[in-house]
Amino acid sequence: MSDSTPPTTGASSDRASAPAAPRWVKVSGIGALAVVILFLVLHLSGAMGPGMHGGH
Amino acid sequence: MVMSPGARKLALTAHVTASVGWLGAVTAFLALALVGLNSRNPGHLRGAYLAMELTGWYVIVPFAFASLVTGLVQSLGSTWGLFRHYWVLAKLVLTVKATFLLLLHMQVVNHVAGAAARTNLSASDLSGMRIQLVADAGAAVVVLVTTTALSIYKPRGITRYGWRVQNEQRVDRSDGRTAQKIASIAPTRA
Repeated sequence: MSDSTPPTTGASSDRASAPAAPRWVKVSGIGALAVVILFLVLHLSGAMGPGMHGGH
Repeated sequence: MVMSPGARKLALTAHVTASVGWLGAVTAFLALALVGLNSRNPGHLRGAYLAMELTGWYVIVPFAFASLVTGLVQSLGSTWGLFRHYWVLAKLVLTVKATFLLLLHMQVVNHVAGAAARTNLSASDLSGMRIQLVADAGAAVVVLVTTTALSIYKPRGITRYGWRVQNEQRVDRSDGRTAQKIASIAPTRA
């Protein structure tokens, strides 16, 4: 968090439609989704989770 | 409600202190988890896991909640808002997830620390959980460095909600200016 002032979207054309999500948001979202899918696959396949916890 | 500059500085100081303290404590936790995984010395093993339990409950968990609460205060008390900018939203999601997973994995720490206190752990005892502690701490360091970088770089991008709020504020400002102009013109016409 910052003390500085947030930028504004100054152009008057902004009033017509909301700006699209920037590329970094899309790339991070895809990355996060991939991590969640990987986590679920590992859990469902038994490679991670309670079975692993016992690990002797 | 927008805070006064003095209150904002104070809230920012509290937020940075809590967040950096959280990152530092998790890094120490990772070092202890690595010692616990690799050491063959029973004294080191026991000491590492007992220290991890204490560090987790008395340093990391309080710092996590302090970071979350001060972050909420900082965003809601400034013009940045909580849901207006993607980077603030991303920080919120990462911090909430990290705090939730921290509480979940503190149960694993309790279990391993309890076993270490009762018996001399061998290299293979509870190996799955001990590897998980290293992985969790490593992932937490990555997440906390990411949230720190987001705060510093503040990548551009406004959400639909932020865009709507900004437009409403712009309309309010232009309405205010029009009212002022009418008020300044009115007496000369009278």
